[in-house]
Amino acid sequence: MARLIRTEKEVEGRYTEQWIVVDEDVLEQWPAGPLETVGRPVPRADGGQRARGEARYTADIKLPGMLHAAILRSPHAKARVRRIDTGRARRAPGVRAVLGPETGPLTDEPPYEGAPVAAVAAETSEQARTAVSLIEVEWERLEPLLDPEEAVRRNELIDEPNREERGEVERGLAESDAVVEAEYRTQTVLHNSMETHQAICEWDGDDRLTVYISTQFIWGVREEVAKRFGLPEDHVRVVCRFMGGGFGSKNGPGDYTYVAAELARATGRPVKCALTRREENLDSGNRNSTIQRLRVGARSDGTLTFLDGEFVNATGWDGWLASTGGPMRLLYACENVRTVEYGAKLNTPPMAAFRAPGFVEGTFGLECLLDELAAKLEIDPLELRRRNHSTHDAVDERPFSSKQLLECYRRAEPHWERRDEVRARSDATWKRGVGLASQVWYGGGGPPSYAWVRIGGDGRAAVITGMQDIGTGSATAMAQIAAEELGLPVDRIEVALGDSARGPYATISAGSSTIPSMGPAVRAAAADAARQLIEIAAQRYDREERVLSLKNGQIVSSDGGSWPLEEITGLLESGQILGKGSRGPNPTGMRVLTFGVQVAEVAVDVETGEVVVEKIVAIHDVGRVINPLGASSQVEGGIIQGLGHTLSEERLLDPSTGGNLTQTLDAYKIPTIADVPEIVTDLVDVPDEHLTNLGSKGLGEPPIIPTAAAIANAIRDATGADVRSLPITREEMLRALREASRQPAREEVGA
Amino acid sequence: MDILRPDSLEAARAALKNGSVALAGGTELVPLLRDRIVEADTIVEIRHAVPRGIQGTRIGAGTTLGELEVDPQIPDALREACRLAASPQLRAMGTIGGNLLQATRCWYWRLKYPCWLHGGGRCFAHEGLHREHAVFANAPCASAHPSDVAAALLALGATVRTDRRELPIAELYRLPTGDDRRMTGLEPGELILELEVPMPAASTYLKAMDRKRFAFALVGVAAARSPEGTRLALAGMAPIPWLLEDESALDEATPLPGNAYKLEIARALIRRALVAVAP
Amino acid sequence: MKIELSVNGERKEADVWPGESLLFTLREKLGLPGSKNACEQGECGSCSVLLDEKLVCSCLVLTAQAQGHEIVTVEGIAEDDRLHRVQEAFVQTGAVQCGFCTPGLIVATVDLLAHRPEPSDDEIREALSGNLCRCTGYQKIFDAVRLAARA
Repeated sequence: MARLIRTEKEVEGRYTEQWIVVDEDVLEQWPAGPLETVGRPVPRADGGQRARGEARYTADIKLPGMLHAAILRSPHAKARVRRIDTGRARRAPGVRAVLGPETGPLTDEPPYEGAPVAAVAAETSEQARTAVSLIEVEWERLEPLLDPEEAVRRNELIDEPNREERGEVERGLAESDAVVEAEYRTQTVLHNSMETHQAICEWDGDDRLTVYISTQFIWGVREEVAKRFGLPEDHVRVVCRFMGGGFGSKNGPGDYTYVAAELARATGRPVKCALTRREENLDSGNRNSTIQRLRVGARSDGTLTFLDGEFVNATGWDGWLASTGGPMRLLYACENVRTVEYGAKLNTPPMAAFRAPGFVEGTFGLECLLDELAAKLEIDPLELRRRNHSTHDAVDERPFSSKQLLECYRRAEPHWERRDEVRARSDATWKRGVGLASQVWYGGGGPPSYAWVRIGGDGRAAVITGMQDIGTGSATAMAQIAAEELGLPVDRIEVALGDSARGPYATISAGSSTIPSMGPAVRAAAADAARQLIEIAAQRYDREERVLSLKNGQIVSSDGGSWPLEEITGLLESGQILGKGSRGPNPTGMRVLTFGVQVAEVAVDVETGEVVVEKIVAIHDVGRVINPLGASSQVEGGIIQGLGHTLSEERLLDPSTGGNLTQTLDAYKIPTIADVPEIVTDLVDVPDEHLTNLGSKGLGEPPIIPTAAAIANAIRDATGADVRSLPITREEMLRALREASRQPAREEVGA
Repeated sequence: MDILRPDSLEAARAALKNGSVALAGGTELVPLLRDRIVEADTIVEIRHAVPRGIQGTRIGAGTTLGELEVDPQIPDALREACRLAASPQLRAMGTIGGNLLQATRCWYWRLKYPCWLHGGGRCFAHEGLHREHAVFANAPCASAHPSDVAAALLALGATVRTDRRELPIAELYRLPTGDDRRMTGLEPGELILELEVPMPAASTYLKAMDRKRFAFALVGVAAARSPEGTRLALAGMAPIPWLLEDESALDEATPLPGNAYKLEIARALIRRALVAVAP
Repeated sequence: MKIELSVNGERKEADVWPGESLLFTLREKLGLPGSKNACEQGECGSCSVLLDEKLVCSCLVLTAQAQGHEIVTVEGIAEDDRLHRVQEAFVQTGAVQCGFCTPGLIVATVDLLAHRPEPSDDEIREALSGNLCRCTGYQKIFDAVRLAARA
């Protein structure tokens, strides 16, 4: 029965209250462990297309008559257009339309470098770019606000400051035997999906619009585009079949989509607007930098007495206040916790969600602080974390729906115990050490999400849903879930997705939510179809329904006899069996979270500041694992992004102009294959018994969260140097080593 | 724009006149043309006009880094410099002649800030961000020369033969001045044809960068020992490849507030390089 | 200007402008969008092709430079219906995630194995360091290269 509920919806750690109609989830969870298909490694269904170069991404789509857009972007961090002359651009070869700052989202008061000011549509991308260079602008340059601390002082903020407190920090302080206080900083990093942001807009008359777009959320794009152009939502079709990475930056339509739509309307032709790599790194979002002033107190036995944090997020001109204080509030059992988070509004490009926004930054600070505390108390860092393990959400007293963090710690032990052996391999130049860090994050997903399952006469099944596969392999996981429920080999399942006109509403692929949101709906739809198959088979073969089941493409009767599925479906001729399913509610009164721990082994060249990460062990609890192959791939990908975040990636802004100096991939250094450590993935794989018919949580984000702190803690273990600022470049490493050598009283560590 | 593909040196010299630019591997020039940092009416592809290949101690300017790095005849410093210079894709196209004439990676210059090197009045890196910039001879321009290969050749004491003259590689480069801001002394249209690289007793090239491969040098140190002594040269430390008398010459550097760390790295790499080439 | 070149074993002709990149010609004029445009700077390797059996970034090669030369793109790697062993290995080991960098990596791996049939890990690191991948973490790319080498 459909049920109307008022529920809390969480995406990327942001909660909203909303009404949702849900079908009650009536299916029992499958038993734990690998099943026929679920829980076993399955190569992605469309891997061959991708490996052949035949997969058509938005970047590869060419429509008849399609024009190309280019955008004039502000070269100044804060400026006003005094005068603009688009005459020469209009007359340039191939140009079909020019839009000036009077057309939204273009602006004549750009508030950050890279903000869109004017746009051109031309026959080729080269012509469009040339025409943009012919637009003449007289700028009035204004003084930009670039310093986040100054913005906080001036109360120039994005959102209200978020102040949360439980217990009393002052009381905790009074009870403390040891207190550690430190300031941590994290840098701005850029997503750099290999496919840049892009969209193609094509109007059909003046009230129907098709948008081909590289996106993580076709339904969100549909809603926002419809709203902007005053169209019924069903008049906007959004298509994203193959997608070249997003990492949080492609959750919405973005200015480029509106520019393409406006130019398409002006010209009556389809228009593609594709960002160049430079534009991508200017204005497609970023993980904002942070300043974290943290304090922790503990009794001599390691029990935390208080945690106190002030967090300044350099949010930029727009965006939202990411939950940098979240880990401090959620990770440990501590009675007295106070966090204050500020979002500084600056003349810099807006932040966007980036793989566990806030938690990546906040975990770096918190987990380094914990290790500094462990050193002060002379308690083993793993033991300190165990002693402060929380059994329920201390924020609101809710129990966790499941939590296997202690099991993660248990599995971490043998890797942690390698410390002496690793340290012993140090010499005069290379110091080696081991560090660890814990992780907490959301990842439970939620309603609504819907799926249909269609079975044809040939006994093959199609899963139809309006979700998108952003590269993670979630389509393959859906095929596995349907195959399991229908007792079919996975190669008899098609997954049709990526088109709002050809499937029901599905979740955003962000916030580690695709599998936990979508998977249960697919299973429910498959179960609905399976029920119908059994009912028909019972009549055809004169058996009771309860003795029939589906297995290996057969209808099997427990009292003997089995029939190929095609025998029943073949009776339908052109008829089809249609199942539908929806995502049920999350467990009421419980907190659904993911947990994990990572152990890093590093080597530091103390003469040149080179840091080599030699090994990372990632142990995570995300409930049931659907596809171990895809899951370990997510873990490895998260860790290598974490490695870049820790060691080499940083968006640099000129301190006086606010201009981005690292727009290209030679200046902005993401890791290469030469930088990867050995990565060991260990997933606990115990279903969350309270969460949906699957017991699966999301895995996109957890693996990136503890990496930076684990590496920094390993560096401290190896060298005794406190690295409190990311990235740990050569100069930062050398600075920290110099500082450590000036503190003679430090505990002797390393070999 | 036009493109010419002369098949002889004479034809190439005739084609290289005002408004034209010589293209070898293209890995440096193509992006500069695309970004309109270099403007040209005519591209003259010189691949069929300049020598390519290795003969004893002579290296054709059109030889790619990829060809050099696998050749057992060339000195270790040069081979390592080629191998560490860039990605395999870039090394397969990029030539040694072109590599010597690389422009700086200074972000202000690449992003076309109206800086001193572009003919403007000031160096933005001085007041701004300069972690990757020069620590020697960094006024009035703090740009760093990126060529690993040039540092290796400088340490090795190579000679450059152009279509007009022969000169020690040190003389190929010049520090820019207010009225002439070029970094090389090549005349307009002058082509590097060949390099003469004496065989050292031992040589090495060490490079510190922000990731393990495929990044420009924060610090590159080349060392070559010959009967006359051991020569040191640096990449990424000055606006041009930098010859260093000895380790103590690092004390003469004039680092900016944000790049003194380079000297610390250089000190360590120099010591290691000297150990590597010691008899 | 008219340029003639061989692409995946077929003679092709294209009308190009002098500054046009081989990548643009392949994608926009010869109907071969498998090579990807991700940086236009030679910094990511997504556009890798073989030019006379040498691995190059097609975004940095002017089509005019390729006059009379032989190009192999990702579309020319598979043998008819069957995936090339390198492609098969990438799929089987999970070395393909979003897949945008995959065509370049496939071509680079084919090139590597042509020269080093049994590459060491260090040789893999060296040979594929010009191909940036933002999804996989590269671990499974090692697996794929090792598997393809054994196949």
